[in-house]
Amino acid sequence: MIGSPDVVAFTKEDEYGQTNPDPWALPEEFSVPLYPLADSNPWAKTSYAKFTKDFILISEFSEQVGPQPLLTIPDDPKVCGTFDLNYFSLRIMSVDYQASFVGHPPGSGYPRLSFVEDSRVVLGDSKEGAFAYVHHLTLYDLEARGFVRPFCMAYVSADERKIMLQFQELSLRFSQASECLKAGNRRAFAKELQRKLRDLEYTHSVLQREEGLQREAGPQCMYSAHAVEKANELANVEKSIYEHRDLLRQISSYHCRPRRDPHAVTCQKCMTECLNECEELLDKYAKLANPFGYTDKGGKGEEGRGQIDDEGGEEEVEEDEDEGVKRRPSYTPQLIKAKSAKCFDKRLKTLQELCDETFYEATVELLKETERSFRGDLCYLHTRRLDKALRRRQRVTNFLFEEDLGDDDEDEVGTLRPFCAVNHAVDNYTFLNPPPIVLGPEPLELDSLEPPDPLDLASETSHTHDSELGLGESHLESSPSDQTLETQESSEETKGSFSSDKSGVGPAEKQQSLASVRSEPPDPDSDLTPDADHNTDLERESSSEEMETTAGDDEGDNGGDQTPVSLLEVVSELEGSREDDCERETDGACELESDLLVPIDTACCMSQDGFLYEASAPEADPHLGQSSHHQPSETLVVNQEPQALLPLQDDYAVGSPCSESPAAGLELPVGLLGDAVSRISVEDGSDCTMSASTGSDRAASPLGYGEVVTLRQRKKAGQGALRFVRQYPFAMQALWCLLSGRTLVVLGADEGRVRRLVAALALFVPGPGKCGERVQAWLSCPFTLTDLQRWKLIGLQRVASPVGSSMLYSLSRYSRYISILDADQKTLRCPPYRGQLLANIADHRTYIRRGSTYFLHVQSTLCRLAAKAFLFTFTHHLHLPVSSTEGPEVVEGRRRCFLQEQLGLGEEDSQILLYLSQLITQQYLRPATGSSAAAPCFSFNYTTSVLYKI
Amino acid sequence: MSSGCPPQSPAVAKSEVAIEGECPLLAATFAYWDNILGPRVRHIWVPKGDQLMFLSDGEVTFLANHTLNGEILRSAECGAVDVKFFVLAEKGVIIVSLIFDGELKGDKNTCALSIILPQTELAFYLPLHTICVERLKHVIRKGRIWMQKGYNIISVLSLEIVPIMELLASMKTHSVPEDIDIKDTVLNDDDIGDSCHEDFLHKAISSHLQTCGCSIVVGSNPEKVNKIVRTLCLFLTPAERKCSRLCKADSSFKYDTGLFVQGLLKDSTGSFVLPFRQVLYSPYPTTHIDVDINTVKQMPPCHEHTYNQRRYMRSELSTLWKTDSEEDIPPDTVIHTDETFTPDLNIFQDVMHKDTLVKSFIDEVFMLKPGLSLRSTYLAQFLLLLHRKALTLLKYIEDETQKGKKPFRSLRNLKTDLDLTVEGDLNIVLAFAEKLRAGLHSFVFGKPFYTSMQERDVLMSF
Repeated sequence: MIGSPDVVAFTKEDEYGQTNPDPWALPEEFSVPLYPLADSNPWAKTSYAKFTKDFILISEFSEQVGPQPLLTIPDDPKVCGTFDLNYFSLRIMSVDYQASFVGHPPGSGYPRLSFVEDSRVVLGDSKEGAFAYVHHLTLYDLEARGFVRPFCMAYVSADERKIMLQFQELSLRFSQASECLKAGNRRAFAKELQRKLRDLEYTHSVLQREEGLQREAGPQCMYSAHAVEKANELANVEKSIYEHRDLLRQISSYHCRPRRDPHAVTCQKCMTECLNECEELLDKYAKLANPFGYTDKGGKGEEGRGQIDDEGGEEEVEEDEDEGVKRRPSYTPQLIKAKSAKCFDKRLKTLQELCDETFYEATVELLKETERSFRGDLCYLHTRRLDKALRRRQRVTNFLFEEDLGDDDEDEVGTLRPFCAVNHAVDNYTFLNPPPIVLGPEPLELDSLEPPDPLDLASETSHTHDSELGLGESHLESSPSDQTLETQESSEETKGSFSSDKSGVGPAEKQQSLASVRSEPPDPDSDLTPDADHNTDLERESSSEEMETTAGDDEGDNGGDQTPVSLLEVVSELEGSREDDCERETDGACELESDLLVPIDTACCMSQDGFLYEASAPEADPHLGQSSHHQPSETLVVNQEPQALLPLQDDYAVGSPCSESPAAGLELPVGLLGDAVSRISVEDGSDCTMSASTGSDRAASPLGYGEVVTLRQRKKAGQGALRFVRQYPFAMQALWCLLSGRTLVVLGADEGRVRRLVAALALFVPGPGKCGERVQAWLSCPFTLTDLQRWKLIGLQRVASPVGSSMLYSLSRYSRYISILDADQKTLRCPPYRGQLLANIADHRTYIRRGSTYFLHVQSTLCRLAAKAFLFTFTHHLHLPVSSTEGPEVVEGRRRCFLQEQLGLGEEDSQILLYLSQLITQQYLRPATGSSAAAPCFSFNYTTSVLYKI
Repeated sequence: MSSGCPPQSPAVAKSEVAIEGECPLLAATFAYWDNILGPRVRHIWVPKGDQLMFLSDGEVTFLANHTLNGEILRSAECGAVDVKFFVLAEKGVIIVSLIFDGELKGDKNTCALSIILPQTELAFYLPLHTICVERLKHVIRKGRIWMQKGYNIISVLSLEIVPIMELLASMKTHSVPEDIDIKDTVLNDDDIGDSCHEDFLHKAISSHLQTCGCSIVVGSNPEKVNKIVRTLCLFLTPAERKCSRLCKADSSFKYDTGLFVQGLLKDSTGSFVLPFRQVLYSPYPTTHIDVDINTVKQMPPCHEHTYNQRRYMRSELSTLWKTDSEEDIPPDTVIHTDETFTPDLNIFQDVMHKDTLVKSFIDEVFMLKPGLSLRSTYLAQFLLLLHRKALTLLKYIEDETQKGKKPFRSLRNLKTDLDLTVEGDLNIVLAFAEKLRAGLHSFVFGKPFYTSMQERDVLMSF
């Protein structure tokens, strides 16, 4: 029992608030805090820094004023805030990192250039809360003390851990920037030497003339003091000429020296170009610099050999010199006054002047890109990288819900530039020691080593970064409108063919259009490097037209008596072509078999009938699907390891414009799952599909608008999705429709509202395509059955006109296959959903506040769904008969049992997994069958739809 | 001292440390800024035996002096330990320097404790940087007390320099590779339970993830131990794997604070003694897995672990402060106690919280055929899910608390909204989040925990 003394005890001052300090107690400065700041606020670790975000600082150790800041990136005073750049420059530049000899080494007549390697230092000022990765480098300046100008580039951050964890990436990028600056500086230094030598030659000639005149004027055996002085001056100038010529020789030999820095990144092309220039100059001045013959050539110099000149053919020399003269810029040699060599009151060159302008600009651009790529909280940078690395290991399911790996904007900036700063191609790069991974299996550097896009190679010769950027921007600007136009045109074309399609499209026509697509295969190098990305937009754009007009052989399943009339119509229309195809299949199957047989696991007990074929001929594709329809009991399963096919499918683009072509139509026999459920698989992109849905205001996709959907866009859509979930209590039903492959039509009069809803719901469309091709954001004309197969989410305009009535007719006609979300009346008509799988992402009472957080939540939930679908797809024993006596019903029962008992899924939830699994199978087998995109199967359900209202 | 360099004045003391195997560390130095003479090197430690690169004493001294350059401008708070990291390509070395202030001969001086490695070891060293720095920081805390008392700091510093040399040498030969072949792990078994009992595997992985991927695996059979070590490492990032160590076949390594997973071999008597202090100083709580008897024990969660760790550190430093004689350096193995703090030695407890995440993963992954890459892909999906859940959780708390400006009071809502109602699942995801945002546990659970601990301590003191 607690008595009053115990209560009093709580008022006793304990060690957390002692009033009488113990003389033996450990002073706080020698102890560790019991409650560090991070405990009370893990986000506040960097809050005491005086700058708001990370920045790059370029500083110089000026021989005149000491350490001084030169430039910050971004060049915005707000970024640095009240942070004292002068003091910090002093701190980071006060590290005497070189300790190498500069100047005249003992025993050498000439000054030596010191080729020092860059140094990298991480240091900080814990009081200021500023930490920096500092990259020290030395540039050459003829007028500087020891010919060197020490500079440093620093990445300044308030988070020390961020710098250390990304040390190697930072080091790599700054090494690249440094090499670029140094290459430009060597070029500028050589030019400076050229000018200097010319001045010296001129001075020498003047002095020589004067000295000759004085000698002639004076007595033969005596020299006046003035003449002696002139002679000394002349000697000095000659010495200076030799010295400068030696400097030129030294700078030319820069590349010959052994590199001591294993982490240096050099561009061979920059190196070679600079070397060539220097050697050219060296050659020239080895002859021109003959001080004794300058005047003889009238200021042009002559081929007279100096003492250390190399002997060469005279004619050649003449030619060289002529060239040199022709190319010589309009520079007038100046007389160098005696004792002017050591002049410290001169204005020092700026960094721009020290480097060739192109190189300087390129370096700044590179640093800007570096700043962008490291911007943000470490925790997000870290996770993004891990995320990417992990997604690379599961390409087989990425197409379902993940944005494209190589084309994400944010990843782009995280990727190392594939070119040197002045845009030389990547194969010129030499990684003396490729950086190992720090945070994760770093794909970025590997990406950077991929061969550049041909278009970028083409731009290589231009050497101007601006032009390349301009090119990229123009693509970006033009592509959406172009694509829309093309889409419209192609749609118009196919509209005509639709009318003929109604009367029956001949198989020959289909084959023809098919062949036209096949003749231009998509670019296999679609795993893009950032810069190459712009260029592939071009390809994508150009190929989009073909893709839109892609024709394919349809296939379907007769739904029996219960099949609606419209479906029967379509099926009958396609029947003819299918029969032809079937015949061809039976003829060619044996021939194809040996080549097309996918290497299967021998341990697998799957019957030969179930083998999967790699179709090289497009004609073969439909038949495989066809056979699956004719014999629905045959289970087509994936029984090979995913990685085995990865080299083939490495660059797949799900549903991208360039990959829209007929699919194999290989499906899992979902039809067997329930009696009421049947399915038809119609070829994606068939003519009739396209034509029917043509609208004048048609948009390519709700998110990307014809371009690759980026993570940023998806995050933005997260806000809309959260709003939708909060606003509509039946959101779960809508999501279920999308995830189970039932097309959802969003009907509304207000285009903006419909588009927003579609953009939000597009997050839940499995396999939406690289550019969101499975989503039609806004349609103002009636759609057809094949549209439903092509688009899984449609925004439909509600209009009060004849067109509107036909649209409503199409809605009611196909109501069996679609779900309708009425944005105006806020209703949803769809089959009921009683599952639990989606309860967590569609709870309108959720406390998630932000769209970005909700997006993350959705992302992880969808990731889990994809994993389950993967498991279901690749668990072999589920789909294969254990013995030859085992019938398809047993297999089906096993699959059903797995879904229900192992995964604990109900009927509706199972449909989600079945649909996802079906997509995975198609996607997985697509590369093997040679076709480039798998059309999702068209499913329909005989369950009565229910009208949900708010 | 090597020839060819001018003799140092006063002569630099040097200790040669016998290290088994090849030690990548070239030297360790203690230097200080003499207010009259400038930077001076006081002591050099070098590993004995063959090295990848030879540095003369003169060079070592030069480099050590170098680390103090610019520190005349230092304006850190008293007691702060700043870290400088140099990659000097010109010299072909990397230097890690810890700069601190200390009292030498009555004067306050800036000091630097540095370790020097060849530049070629950069990739090897970087993942281990945090471990080395944290350990050196703590020994510096002790050293500063020693300096304050006018005692020789070198003996204190040696307490950690030598183990760090040993750690680096052992990691050179026995670190877990960045890429682990799933075939070398339990996840390649034909069926669950082939290598180890299903429940044991589940518990081991679950606890391993709950303790932020920090585990020790002990056993008598090195192959068995290493198989579990590799299996656990599958759930780590590549950088974390580089901070993990396999067990040595013939004799056991010592336990090393800061490693993520380490395999340790029992002695001939079938026992392994864990040093209490070192385990408590690990940045994360640890899971203890005994593969001989299939037991899994775990330390309390992060916030409790951190609290215990800090209290122990304070107690240790306090004990040192009260030491009367230079000869009385308290050995590391001694449990430090004072009147206000008695550590709870029973730090490893049973795994209390069951989870569904790992359970379903273990159940399902064995359904996929081994030998193909199916299981690796499924594992990647599982890890991606965990990372994303952790990020979602972080973002959720960030939104709720306006980046920590407000206390977090809606754990129940979080559990419901993010489908983390099962305690084990929440612990796993929180552990992942803790690694991304250090201090998260303390932020979420800390205050009530401290309060209850304080109340308990107060009650116990009566």
